[in-house]
Amino acid sequence: MSDQSRNSWIKQDNPRLVSARQKDIYEDILEDRRHSSDVVWSFRTREEPKYKYNKPRTPDEIRKHVMHSDRVKYAVEKVCSESGLPIEEVWKQAEEVMQEMSHNLSMGAIRGFAMFMVKVLKSLFKRVYVNTEGIQKVREMLVEYPVLLMPSHRSYFDFLLMSYVFYSYDLPLPVIAAAMDFMGMKFFGWLLRNSGAFYIRRSFGDDMLYWAVFTEYVQSQLVNGDHPIEFYVEGTRSRTSKSYAPKFGMLSASLEPYFKAHIPDIMVIPISISYDKILEETLYSYEILGVPKPKESTSGLFKARNLLSEDFGNVHVHFGEPLSIRKYTDGKVDRSVHSLAPRYIASLSDDENKLIQNLGYKVLLLHQEHMVISPWSLMAAVLVQNKDGIKIKQLEKEVEWIKRQATNLGAYIDWPGNESADAVLRSTLALHKNIAEVDSEDVVHLLEIQHPTRGSQDELMQAAAQHLIITLYKNQLMHIFVRVSMVTLSINSCTEETMSMNELYSKYEFLEHLLNRDFIFMPDSTKQDFENAMLTLTHNCGVVVEDGLLQVKKSTNKYTTFFSQMFEPFLLGYWVSFYSNEN
Amino acid sequence: MSKDRLTVVNKHICENSSNCYSLTQCNGTEKNNVAGQNEAPSMPKRRQEVLKWNGWGYKDSKFKVNKDGQVEFTGERYKLSGQTMPMLKEWMMATVGISLDHKTPAQPELTAKDIQAPIKNEEFMSDLRRTGISNTDDCQDRLFRAHGHTLHEIFLLREGKFKRIPDLVVWPTSHNEVVKIVELCCRHNVVLIPFGGGTSVSSALECPSAEQRMIVSLDTSQMNKILWVDEKNLTACCEAGIIGQDLERRLSEKGFCTGHEPDSMEFSSLGGWVATRASGMKKNIYGNIEDIVVHIKFVTPKGVMEKSCQVPRMSSGLDIHHFIMGSEGTLGVVTEVTLKIRPIPTCRKYGSIVFPQFENGVNCMREVARQRCAPASIRLMDNQQFQFGSALKPESKSLLQSFIEGIKKFYITKLKGFDPHKLAVATLLFEGTNEEVAAQEKRVYEIAAQFGGLPAGAENGERGYMLTFVIAYLRDLGFEYYIVAESFETSVPWDRCLDLCNNVKDRLYRECKEHGIQFPPYITCRVTQTYDAGACVYFYFGFNYRGISNPVQVYEAIENLAREEILANGGSVSHHHGIGKIRKQFLKQTVGDVGVGTMKAIKNYIDPENIFGNDNLMIGDLSSKL
Repeated sequence: MSDQSRNSWIKQDNPRLVSARQKDIYEDILEDRRHSSDVVWSFRTREEPKYKYNKPRTPDEIRKHVMHSDRVKYAVEKVCSESGLPIEEVWKQAEEVMQEMSHNLSMGAIRGFAMFMVKVLKSLFKRVYVNTEGIQKVREMLVEYPVLLMPSHRSYFDFLLMSYVFYSYDLPLPVIAAAMDFMGMKFFGWLLRNSGAFYIRRSFGDDMLYWAVFTEYVQSQLVNGDHPIEFYVEGTRSRTSKSYAPKFGMLSASLEPYFKAHIPDIMVIPISISYDKILEETLYSYEILGVPKPKESTSGLFKARNLLSEDFGNVHVHFGEPLSIRKYTDGKVDRSVHSLAPRYIASLSDDENKLIQNLGYKVLLLHQEHMVISPWSLMAAVLVQNKDGIKIKQLEKEVEWIKRQATNLGAYIDWPGNESADAVLRSTLALHKNIAEVDSEDVVHLLEIQHPTRGSQDELMQAAAQHLIITLYKNQLMHIFVRVSMVTLSINSCTEETMSMNELYSKYEFLEHLLNRDFIFMPDSTKQDFENAMLTLTHNCGVVVEDGLLQVKKSTNKYTTFFSQMFEPFLLGYWVSFYSNEN
Repeated sequence: MSKDRLTVVNKHICENSSNCYSLTQCNGTEKNNVAGQNEAPSMPKRRQEVLKWNGWGYKDSKFKVNKDGQVEFTGERYKLSGQTMPMLKEWMMATVGISLDHKTPAQPELTAKDIQAPIKNEEFMSDLRRTGISNTDDCQDRLFRAHGHTLHEIFLLREGKFKRIPDLVVWPTSHNEVVKIVELCCRHNVVLIPFGGGTSVSSALECPSAEQRMIVSLDTSQMNKILWVDEKNLTACCEAGIIGQDLERRLSEKGFCTGHEPDSMEFSSLGGWVATRASGMKKNIYGNIEDIVVHIKFVTPKGVMEKSCQVPRMSSGLDIHHFIMGSEGTLGVVTEVTLKIRPIPTCRKYGSIVFPQFENGVNCMREVARQRCAPASIRLMDNQQFQFGSALKPESKSLLQSFIEGIKKFYITKLKGFDPHKLAVATLLFEGTNEEVAAQEKRVYEIAAQFGGLPAGAENGERGYMLTFVIAYLRDLGFEYYIVAESFETSVPWDRCLDLCNNVKDRLYRECKEHGIQFPPYITCRVTQTYDAGACVYFYFGFNYRGISNPVQVYEAIENLAREEILANGGSVSHHHGIGKIRKQFLKQTVGDVGVGTMKAIKNYIDPENIFGNDNLMIGDLSSKL
């Protein structure tokens, strides 16, 4: 007992000896699984909260309901009269669509899935962090209102993780709108379907029958609160780690029941899933370079690399504040316009469509707000500009500087406060040892990136892949800086001594317009974004405004230069493609 | 029993009336002698001698907490009178957090010094004097006609003061006298507000506070004769001031009824029903007021408007009846109405059905409507209202009764597995011949069984109907203990009925939280009428306002939000309460610009000087929320 604490109520006063099970608002959900039987855990009894108006139904009953719904009947009759096909034929088509689409969620499969997942997760990740307060809110909301889960999408693992998190917190398993790609996978496709995945075609344009079955299938489950419904507003995995522009089909199908007053409200839960290391990192960088994406197959998923033997660090799953659709739309739409037609005939007002679009962007911005930034992203931002190597001391200095700027702009950085910067950098480098290493002279330099299935490529491809994989991580930072950078870009390129605020704003507007496919901007809030960016720059970053005029010279400093440099590649990219198109 | 009630009232009136008023005897020449014609009006001129001046109903009837700390209903008019309800106090404490230690007593009765002096148009007064029409400027008579029974009106009586009240009350006794009064008002630019039973819950009777002209309240209570009964055509012509209970009682002496029974029928008048488009509980057999009316005599500033014949239906351009009904006193005053009458049915029977959940009940009602086999009345109460009904059970007089109750409860909750906190109850009223009633019962209970409903006896049914009569009295007890409460209603297509009930309740709960209400509110609804294409839904909403300084404003704000929710759910602005003043903001959304414009054009033609200036409906600035 020589190590007895000086204060008896302190159990552990060496910070290094405290486990990282609890970290800030997060809790690791793998820790307990590492010390208990997976089988017992998977087969334990679970008490799930249920939506208060829910009537329990089996997947089969849901399908039956859809096939007997007014909406599908209406569509079948319409298709019949337009195409001249016999009605039995159209009904058969509808039935096929239904079979292809529907999930088969069963508790047995879920338990199997959970057992499989816990083993996979334990071998892949050190820790899976979840903010417990967010979970608590989801639990409360599930009882009161139908719930839409809208996670960010950076990896295949997203929906496996989501289901696992719900399983482990004794929440009802979500049903997940998945792309058809998975359906073909042998064992995995079956497992996913039985774990709640339902498959939708990527595009079905004006296929009325498909629309009807799809809409009824989604809405019926939402309205009855059978399960929380999960889908990706980005539509597909982001290959760049930036948020993709939102897609609206699934979102409008899900929100229509509120606009048509089937339900009192819908709670949208934005979920940010941040990976220290993305499983598909090399696949993505080659895919962007045009090497075709391998066809989804079960063996491909795990064989691709010895995934299971590799360490992918931590994952953070952040459940955002539930967003009430009633509150979000209050005063902006008049739901009574739907009083004059049966509710099964699809129709949304212009106001409602506009609001749905707004919401899509809003959710993405909320994703970004709660992304957990790893030290590696900060390092990537430096490394991308020092491809020939950089001394680790210098890297440390630069990283610390960026860290401060990002924090000031509201970023959440996963930086262990009880470690020295040097230790953080080195352990991060160890995690990404396939991308960079530190040599005996303490110089950090990048490594060759092998294509996972095709082996090494030519030198140009190599260099490009290396650049892209680093950019993938640097991109995780970009949304934090984009608004201030759009101001500083104009400052840095200005040749006059002063610039009027109007001019600065109109340049900002132009840049937003130019970059709105690369970054997420809330529609109709350009002015406010601009003003907020100006406030940050003048308060924190030495930008000077006098007599309503921006003082260019006084405002040019390390901050404005750095911010601009981060984004110059985008402008360059547009400039190059513009000229190559011209010719 | 009703005869006893009448004699009591009569005695009461006769004693007083000779002192204060010269009763103008009916001087019209009767075509047909209807029994009871010579009896005095059951509503005296000085109504506050029979009725509460600041609450609902008769002075002798009210809920009170007796010396044992139990709630008791006083008087001897009602089945509940003289009974104590041992469960009611506990129910009130549990559902709305009433505490007997926290009381909000009403102000004492207002007297001359508290009430503003009347505005007098002297030329009008001297012309009126020449007609000999009974009138008064007595302050309490004027105050009584300054309001209906909207929450904020009663609250003002209890704790505040009206900004504007009528300056004079006139009691015409015939159509011709009404014509004279309207002429004089037009000649001297005096505002006229018709006053029937005074049971409005839309602020329709309140005087516009900015009105500078003299305001005359035209009280129709002395026009209460049944002028003739035509047994060949089954019609009766009545003066518009007759109140529901008198109409039914007098017709019953000849073996007839109209079957029109709004919940307010003890006090509301025939003219009021026409002017507000009233609806009766038994409309499934007898129809709503628009189905019952055959002919209307309507006095307007432009003259008398009426049809030239009394036929079951005619095609003659726009139907003038249809803009008299629902005009809410903005165009003129109804003086005489010819109604359809029916022979009194031989059999009258209550019934009830218990459902495992509200949704089953709604589906059952929908099926009953689809098969068009609804009995005289069918209403579905939600669980909260069922609980409330149970709390109204009087002390069991016999051991046997409580034993039977226990067995019933055991059967339903234990053997049938109904959750007492989820089940819903439909109350039924059957009317017809014995055979008809038996056949109806069989059919309705068969349909109910398809939706998991079990017959639950006549007593539950009867208590359900009693609840709607006494709830207005109960509100007055609530007022004593920091409770504000009110009802509102709507009509809605069948496919949206259940969603509307759920969504409006959810909205109310949420808005209570948002508005900082400290106690759980009481929110309940019932599907109270069925139609081919939809249903009428009735909500009760009340809350304990301890900790809130402006309860009435908060109540009104929340009710308006609930109304917005109703409209968003495809419901209507009102099924039968009307627009009045409190729902004016929703009129434009309901009928559109052209609709409001048309109403205004009619008003402009009939009443360009705005003599009927009660400010209801389309009059004045319609601040549109859209």
